[in-house]
Amino acid sequence: MNTQLIDPSWMQIACAAGLLLVTIGLSAARGLGLGQDLIVAGIRTFVQLVAIGYVLGFVFSTDSPALIIAILIFMLAVAAWTVAARQRRPTNALRLLVLGSLSAGCGLTMVLATEVILRIQPWYNPYYLIPLMGMVIGNSLNSATLAVERLDSELRGARDRVEALLALGATSRQAAATAVRAAMKAAMIPIINSMMVVGLVSLPGMMTGQILGGSSPLVAIKYQVLIMYMIAFSTTITTFVLTTLRARSYFTPAHQLREAAVEA
Amino acid sequence: MPIASLPVIRLEGVGVTKQGRTVLSDVTLSFESGGRYAILGPSGAGKTTLLRLLDRLEDPTAGVLWFHGTSYAQLSAITLRRGVAMVFQVPVIFPGSVRDNLCAALRLQRRDGEIDPADLTRALELAGLDGAMLARDAAALSTGEKQRVCIARALMTRPEVLLLDEPTAALDPTAAHHLIESIVHLSRTGRLTVIMVSHQPEHAHGFGGEVILLVGGRVVEQSSAEQFFVAPATDQGRSYLDRTLSGVPS
Repeated sequence: MNTQLIDPSWMQIACAAGLLLVTIGLSAARGLGLGQDLIVAGIRTFVQLVAIGYVLGFVFSTDSPALIIAILIFMLAVAAWTVAARQRRPTNALRLLVLGSLSAGCGLTMVLATEVILRIQPWYNPYYLIPLMGMVIGNSLNSATLAVERLDSELRGARDRVEALLALGATSRQAAATAVRAAMKAAMIPIINSMMVVGLVSLPGMMTGQILGGSSPLVAIKYQVLIMYMIAFSTTITTFVLTTLRARSYFTPAHQLREAAVEA
Repeated sequence: MPIASLPVIRLEGVGVTKQGRTVLSDVTLSFESGGRYAILGPSGAGKTTLLRLLDRLEDPTAGVLWFHGTSYAQLSAITLRRGVAMVFQVPVIFPGSVRDNLCAALRLQRRDGEIDPADLTRALELAGLDGAMLARDAAALSTGEKQRVCIARALMTRPEVLLLDEPTAALDPTAAHHLIESIVHLSRTGRLTVIMVSHQPEHAHGFGGEVILLVGGRVVEQSSAEQFFVAPATDQGRSYLDRTLSGVPS
């Protein structure tokens, strides 16, 4: 079997864009009104990935830890802004909270995975840091979005129960515990589902990419297992920090529910 | 001044302003140990806000509240709420049995080991329920029974003050009458101070004790229930009774 990697030409990529045209046609036939979104999304996919290809090419050719750290921070900031934008009232406080939580979850995961487990050399090796961070942030971002949405709806919907608990002498942490648990569960279910079916139903992108890139399937699966565990860890830490701090913002230091927070 | 002579709760010049709107203004009140107080007033008079201040679910924007002579600000809200219990207008039942609901406060304090079955039965009976219903699913009870479970649950911390926010609002007239009787009986048993908000003067009449009439966020009259329902001292008191009472003896 020929295992040599095929480097797709731009003409072949243009042919692949034909798949998108079929999608747009079907959307129009069904009256989904998604034609414009699909065109914009298709163009953005192309432009963003081509741009990041050149950026990565440049980054990999330099030997600048400061530049790599700056890129990681930029990725975290974009993720935090994206999570906040999905909420009903995206405030700067929420953006900073998400940024802090993602930094804690993804940062700790990356340090443990690249410096303690893989022991990459040098410590800022962009061939490892950037793709691994991308996978970890992408998944933590989704979990963080689900966690904030669920926590907010739980606390706003259960105001009576929360205040009844406070009136019984509960601390604000105790009063919010049910909502925090529900939010963490909602945020972690996607990664648990992914871990359940990986290899059976889905072949993850990174593993597929490595196999297509010529790596041995065994090396690819080792990386994929590592990635899955990293994502599980980072989503847990991110949503734990995020839901704890977000829940705290609903209460005053005197264990009172902030009216402005529940009515927002 | 000896501690024993201090009121359980005292408010001095208390005011609440929310988004530029005055909800309570210059409220000065004392609640004595073992007293029964009915807070009356039209909708929007600030009755519920006043009750929430007493349980420190909110803080005033002016004035000071005192619990046994100590300012609320100097007390931990958790400690205060273990001495000042509150029951809300709509009964809030936690998942599980009546027993689970009654044990909630002690479980929050991680004092599960101190739960005495006799205390559970006593709290239920004080709230006018049969002590044998501990094992029943609390969610399956009638609204009146749920409200009584909420009262029994509040009593489990052996509070000095019980705050009731329109406890009869969700009940039919017969259930409401029985609940008021139970609350009066409860306040007479021991030195429990009961402060009840109501927008139904007939319930305050049956409740007895003292009536505090709030209008537009101000205390406009404070007198014994007997006097208030026979001869209100102020024009606002008379006007309030004229508007709201039709069948209560005067």
